[in-house]
Amino acid sequence: MAGRLKDKYAIVGIGQTEFSKDSGRTTRALGVEAVRMAMVDAGLRADEVDGMLSYSGNDSTDSPTISSDLGIRLNFYMDVNGGGSSTEALIGLAMGAIEVGMCNTVAIFRAMNGYTEARIGGTGRQTPVFRGASLDQGIYGMNSAGQSFAPSFLRHMYEYGTTSEQVAHVKVAHSKHASNNPKAYYPARVTVEDVLNSRWITKPLHLLDCCVETDNGSALIVTSIERARDLKQMPAVIMGVAGRVSKPQAGYHWTRGPISRVAGHYAAPIVFGQAGIEHADVDVTGSYDAFTFTTTLQLEAYGYCAEGEGGDYVSSGIIELGGARPNNTSGGHLCEGYTHGIALVAENVRQLRHQADDYCPNWQNGEHTYDYSAGGCRQVKDVEITHNLGWASPPTGSSLIMRRP
Amino acid sequence: MAEYLGVKVDIASNDRARHEFLEAAGEGRLTLQKCVECQKLRYPIMTACPFCMSADSNWEEVSGKGTIYSYELVMHPIHPAYRERVPYPIVLVELDEQREYPTLDDGLRLVSSLVDGSGNPEDIEKVAINARVEVEFADLGDGLALPRFRLSDDVPEHELWRLPS
Ligand SMILES: [Zn+2]
Repeated sequence: MAGRLKDKYAIVGIGQTEFSKDSGRTTRALGVEAVRMAMVDAGLRADEVDGMLSYSGNDSTDSPTISSDLGIRLNFYMDVNGGGSSTEALIGLAMGAIEVGMCNTVAIFRAMNGYTEARIGGTGRQTPVFRGASLDQGIYGMNSAGQSFAPSFLRHMYEYGTTSEQVAHVKVAHSKHASNNPKAYYPARVTVEDVLNSRWITKPLHLLDCCVETDNGSALIVTSIERARDLKQMPAVIMGVAGRVSKPQAGYHWTRGPISRVAGHYAAPIVFGQAGIEHADVDVTGSYDAFTFTTTLQLEAYGYCAEGEGGDYVSSGIIELGGARPNNTSGGHLCEGYTHGIALVAENVRQLRHQADDYCPNWQNGEHTYDYSAGGCRQVKDVEITHNLGWASPPTGSSLIMRRP
Repeated sequence: MAEYLGVKVDIASNDRARHEFLEAAGEGRLTLQKCVECQKLRYPIMTACPFCMSADSNWEEVSGKGTIYSYELVMHPIHPAYRERVPYPIVLVELDEQREYPTLDDGLRLVSSLVDGSGNPEDIEKVAINARVEVEFADLGDGLALPRFRLSDDVPEHELWRLPS
């Protein structure tokens, strides 16, 4: 039984600034450029967008400012606190806002100077103090995302024999994809040995198991399927969405197990239930790759392989371009750049349009060579359905299934 | 003023439960909240019972003995207090109390530090899943202390497992 809003909403525009480590601009400038690009992409004027949603970790510029710069009068906006997995959740909230009649068309953006201003885990420049919940973890030296996820990853290695070499294939695959993405911050292909020989950050994470931090603004536009039909681009039709689905006791998930089983386990029946499809129907996945392990554990939790077999799955070639179900064809957070997941949704919209912006001369017309050697194509052939697997942390994640009309 | 590794420890005056937890540690006791209704222990400090929603709890002293359930070995420090302490282990300790309860996958697990006899980070080569540990307390000043763990002489129930190097 499919969801009540299946096929009723679509993503009609995408916009992204360049990925850099030196934007030299405010988050306001990044946000405005991204939203403006998404509107131009969709063919929408300022008076045709009346809703706005954004997420941040106190490092963005709010919707009243971004919309004002573009001359947009809003009937609805929310600026929420949140990082990874917010994108898919806000797409669901945008659908709800439109469905109840609060507004008609919603721009969703994330604008961050993720390298030059607000780095994950902090810059080390603040005056340190241990207070409140930091006495549960931070005081023991567990402060960054990698430090907070690592024990879950290690437990998966212990329980199932997952190896560093297996998960290194995630970086290898995504670097292959990035080599065909002119926007990618790290376009160079790497090998399993490169990952294993990179320095340790926190065991079991090597440097190349961790994603890049970048400055970037990215935006998406959501509207009803009826309005979508009048717009410039082929709509990416939303089949199902799950937002910030959590494991029990998400604030301190260690006590409720298994800790190596991540939130996708709970999100999978929601999103697949709404979409009314099977795993075999999905052509491309976009599994959040803050770390090689996050992609691995999510693909497993969503049921793309059996529990414990994530290491085998990601090292089998399936997730690479040319494989049965490529993951993060842009190069993802590991190689393209990092904007808390929104770019992974934009990439799947491109895949559905058959307009991956690769090195094929006529990609704008959907013409691709399907030659995946470096500096070539990154469009997956005949994509019909994509699945985004958003990640905040082991106990929280979101999900989005889209299709071609 | 309470302090740990040269960094101020600032506990809000209205966070009574956290004061009580650290005060008990200052007396050398590891105490956890125990639900008055369903009698289950819980960690970290919470304001209601996650198993039955009861708002009432008492402090119960536990043995402080446990097993390393998972861990990581930090090689690249982030927090200024840990800059001089790398490499250091972070351990997830499963206490002997309330193991595999209320479900087989659940347990009382604490993120903590594994230290040697001098309070320095334990040799990372010695850290292993299934290794037996016992609590010790680091003085914070003001009568407060922070629970940490060290390796114990107990015989492990399961084979030790370390990340292959
Ligand atoms: Zn209770």
